[in-house]
Amino acid sequence: MARVLVGVKRVIDYAVKIRVKPDKSGVVTDGVKHGLNPFDEIAVEEAVRLKEKKIASEVIAVSCGLPQAQESLRTALAMGADRAVHVEVPQAQYDSLLPLHVSKILAKVAVDEKVDIVVVGKQAIDDDSNQTAQMTAALLGWPQATFASEVTVSDGNVLVKREVDGGLETVRVKLPAVISADLRLNEPRYATLPNIMKAKKKPIKKLSAADVGVDLAPRQQVLSVEDPPTRQAGSIVPDVDTLITKLKEKGHL
Amino acid sequence: MRIIDSIKIISKNYSTRSEQYYAKQIKNATVVCTNHLTPEIKLHLITEQCKLWHSPANECQFNDPFWAFYWPGGQAISRFILDNNKYVNNKTILDIGSGSAACSLASALAGANQVTANDIDPVACVAAKLNAQLNNINIDVLSKNILFNDCSQWEVIIVGDMFYSQDMADLLWKWLDMLCNQGKTILIGDPGRHCFKPKRHLQERLKKLKEYKLTENCCLENRGFSTASVWILE
Repeated sequence: MARVLVGVKRVIDYAVKIRVKPDKSGVVTDGVKHGLNPFDEIAVEEAVRLKEKKIASEVIAVSCGLPQAQESLRTALAMGADRAVHVEVPQAQYDSLLPLHVSKILAKVAVDEKVDIVVVGKQAIDDDSNQTAQMTAALLGWPQATFASEVTVSDGNVLVKREVDGGLETVRVKLPAVISADLRLNEPRYATLPNIMKAKKKPIKKLSAADVGVDLAPRQQVLSVEDPPTRQAGSIVPDVDTLITKLKEKGHL
Repeated sequence: MRIIDSIKIISKNYSTRSEQYYAKQIKNATVVCTNHLTPEIKLHLITEQCKLWHSPANECQFNDPFWAFYWPGGQAISRFILDNNKYVNNKTILDIGSGSAACSLASALAGANQVTANDIDPVACVAAKLNAQLNNINIDVLSKNILFNDCSQWEVIIVGDMFYSQDMADLLWKWLDMLCNQGKTILIGDPGRHCFKPKRHLQERLKKLKEYKLTENCCLENRGFSTASVWILE
């Protein structure tokens, strides 16, 4: 049976209206509701289903981030992960943490925990990078199957239906492999009291970046974070003729 | 003698005011459930029909109501005992971490001479008594921590789903090793928790007796698990 590592990230809740900091250095996170990245939720759900089908023997959730990342790990445990690894990153370093750093950490944890499958969300809804799965696979030298909408494991292979422009692509990769979850892979089940309660007893191992031997020095500098431009007000024209005249004036026709 | 005395002190009825209060709270928060592997035993449980099931953990009036759920390992042991009564028939039984006391009730139904349900949660002890009453079964309920205490009065030790944390698992293996050397029968139920991994010398003495497929509602309650097994430590 396979051992599965699932990467999870704590992000600003999808329903929160994002505010940019006045000094344009980033977005406001203090006092803002956070939650498990929705794509990672799908990744956890898929891993747990593999366990329920007895394809996976153990599901390990891993998160790199602030002490509060433990909340997201608890959610993953309540969803059915067996145990968790928290690679704690202090605020100063977290502000400049990049997918490359996270990928290096995930790759190291994957080797240390002797896993056969790494599953992550295709991207985090805060920075939208969409790089972690790909770079983790590259660092490990494992095949990758990204944007999965269906995963079937059999005989040391994974058959993955990928969501691509214009339809679905089916790929077969050999284990060990890295999979990234797309939106339609599954519908995560909401964690109820019995699961939340039992998750409190599940172990979370705490490590530092130094423990896994990853250098967190920044690789890029954020120059400015800005709100998208506000939409200009439109105008109403009385009839189609006026509309056509105006469009011609502006050179659109 | 000490243990027998304490059993007597914690009488079979809800003598104290706090016990009466817990009993009322338990009845309000739970429903009587038979949707599990041992439908012949009725239990006060928190199920999908209960408000608490859907509540966040911080809105729960009980401190971790482990007794309000019929854990997969416990279900497997109870079913096994009911179908194979030779393990408990005419014997004295200690059900450790008894929670709802389902395994105790199953042991009593299967012909045990005497059954003690042991749980350090005082609310669980009241739940155990309520469940015994619900099924018209006589059991003793003990709330003191029995680990590493004198267990000479019991022949069979039942451990239903206790390997949920590493600390607890380490403690249990040490204690069960000791009890096993004293010649006791030790039955363990577990769905395959991460911490249910014995040290090498115990591995050879641990035998799987039977594996059960969990009911659909039990799978929902225990995400990630679809079966539970009964083991004997010899």
